[in-house]
Amino acid sequence: MDGSRVRYVGRRLGLLAVLALASCGSDELVALDRVGQPDAPKTLRLQINASYSHQSSTPEVAEGFRKRFEAWAREHPEWRLDLNIIPDAFSTTEQARLLEKARVGQAPDCANVDSFTVPLFIEQGALQPLDEHFSEQEVEDLFPYVRDVITGPDDRIYAWWWSTDLRVIYRRTDLVPEPPRTWDELIEAAGEAEEKDPKVDGYLFNGGRWEAATFDNLAYFWMQGGKLLDEDGRPVFADGENGPKMLRVLEFLKETVDSGAAPSRVTTFTNYDEFETAAQGKSVAMFLGGSFQYTTMRSLIGKDEFSKWDVSMPPGPEPGQTATGTGGWTVAAFSDDPEKVAACMDIVRDIYVGEGNELTGELPTSRRLFDSLEAFRAPIWQRFKRYLQEGQARPGLAIYPALSSELQIAIGSVLTGSATPDEALATAGERVQQTYDLLEGR
Amino acid sequence: MTTASATRVGRAARAQGGGRWSPPEALPWLAPLLALATVFFLWPVLNVLRLAFTDSTLLRDDYAYTLQTFEQVLSDPSLGKVLGVTGIFVAASVVGQLLLGLFIALIVQRAVARKLHGAVLVRSVVLCAWVMPGVLIGVVWQIVLNEGPFGLVNSVLAETGLAPVSWLSDTKLAVVSVVTANIWRGTAFTMLLLYAALHTVNRELYDAARVDGAGRLRLLWHVTLPQIRPVLLVNVILITIATLNTFDMILSLTGGGPAQATEVLALRTFNSVFVSFNLAAGCVFAVFLLLASLLLTVVYRRVLGQEER
Repeated sequence: MDGSRVRYVGRRLGLLAVLALASCGSDELVALDRVGQPDAPKTLRLQINASYSHQSSTPEVAEGFRKRFEAWAREHPEWRLDLNIIPDAFSTTEQARLLEKARVGQAPDCANVDSFTVPLFIEQGALQPLDEHFSEQEVEDLFPYVRDVITGPDDRIYAWWWSTDLRVIYRRTDLVPEPPRTWDELIEAAGEAEEKDPKVDGYLFNGGRWEAATFDNLAYFWMQGGKLLDEDGRPVFADGENGPKMLRVLEFLKETVDSGAAPSRVTTFTNYDEFETAAQGKSVAMFLGGSFQYTTMRSLIGKDEFSKWDVSMPPGPEPGQTATGTGGWTVAAFSDDPEKVAACMDIVRDIYVGEGNELTGELPTSRRLFDSLEAFRAPIWQRFKRYLQEGQARPGLAIYPALSSELQIAIGSVLTGSATPDEALATAGERVQQTYDLLEGR
Repeated sequence: MTTASATRVGRAARAQGGGRWSPPEALPWLAPLLALATVFFLWPVLNVLRLAFTDSTLLRDDYAYTLQTFEQVLSDPSLGKVLGVTGIFVAASVVGQLLLGLFIALIVQRAVARKLHGAVLVRSVVLCAWVMPGVLIGVVWQIVLNEGPFGLVNSVLAETGLAPVSWLSDTKLAVVSVVTANIWRGTAFTMLLLYAALHTVNRELYDAARVDGAGRLRLLWHVTLPQIRPVLLVNVILITIATLNTFDMILSLTGGGPAQATEVLALRTFNSVFVSFNLAAGCVFAVFLLLASLLLTVVYRRVLGQEER
């Protein structure tokens, strides 16, 4: 069994072991489902993603968060955090459940909220305002797109967006020396890489049934000037001038598989681990991944091997066209108890902002942190900072999850050959419109 | 006193009292159970049925009663595909779990009868799959069937010089894969029920059949299966309902993909409610699930319960 296989199986089994033991107790300050002393007088129900906890599948990150939570518990002995840790594979689908819990008053006191769903939570009146916990300067330091998302119509902020990311092409420079500038160049470079080393797949990307299949590939749509929704929030991605742009994306993705640049198994990818494992096994030349994978990749594949890797912006249909999707996670308070809201923001400051960025390699959301944090001074991080200028966030409206789901189906249908790009796009457009009409009460 | 006898008593009392009705004597004893069943089972079912005839979403409190949701669901071109996949998934899973469960139960019973070591271990190992949450089972099978160079099954195939198989990316094989995972998950339950049922079969029946010259297959067909028929009926009903409601394992194994190749009715229900916020459509799919369960239960009772009557 080779190293990559051992690593892949090890990581997945590690995840299993953590999940299987999730209900076990412990007297330590950091147990699997608790932080702080079991008999602490105050309790806070905290919902976080596994990646941002001591249950992360990356051992270094898990250990780092364990230490930070332990330090927080020592500094706040009066608090016990009752944890609800969401497996990463379900972190996006969990958002709808969280929203429903908030609507019936059963939300946790403090929780991770996916950045693109924050406007929806604000619209539903689920979140508490946080202005008193952050200075005007801190809010001003945030990147504009970050500030826009967390600010409600009343100009108050309702979540703290602490980590952002973007999508880039990772490539092995010994197989693909120059970054591809166009889609044709990408397919050609993938083919050449496969000729140089028959063991590698030229290009990998998310094509399975999960959010990243849509979000990662939306960069190819946005870079053509495509719009998912019009100014009133009505879906327009399949109509008018946007339809041909989305069609080009579906045709390009199909071409990657038909040409052999990408294997058909991309339709089974439902997590980013696939790319890292393939990189470790030296079986991929290029992949469309997230900036958050940079740190993990470096620790996974070793310094020498990692030195062969470089990143570039996703290529466009024509040279010079480029864009990238930006996402990330916030922490928001659902409890109306001011003491719990304050504790929730303490956690954001003490565990996530800055230190959490350095630990996970997820990008800071303010220029000040980008420049002041030691870990982000290296040229690569400054390059990511520059790429963020081309970043596009997903629309934070109720229709987006349905739109994303239908595009996942469209991409899968095209890649498996069960529908032509035209048919897949028409079906997706029709079904999203139907859901939109329902959500709008038409 | 059973409900039937209570009803008879009620009828007798009515007859004696010149047509005046009086409640069955068992009613006070049954009332708490009826109340619990109404609150925790009947009311949610009726509520789902009611919401299926509305345009309700997870995001609005107001809704109107309409048949439009039913119309939209029924006119969706992908509905046939989802129902087809569900049918294959349920039929193959039930048959697979039944045959494999019976096979293992017979082997374990034989091993215990011969006082062989390891029978308890085998029983415990098989049960492990049953107690694991569906999400974990999905992750386990993802490891096993991964099509990359690190997938376990494809690695074994490669070692033996065979070409890798598209277990999850081929739309047809993906269905086979989720069925296999579900059989692996559910076989232990069948094994447990049938193993217990096998112990209730009168040994003298086997002795008599052997005297008449019956071989192993004839013993199984003419003695064992008829004797455990009531348990088989309960077992088939339970595993059918469990399989119809399975979505967690598929969600973590394939997410319903590639495209919609493994999207079963239960997963479609989940996606409608928790992805599209379409509560009404989710309720329509839930009604379909309820109808399928009821229909299959009636069919099973007719087929398997004939002799019982």
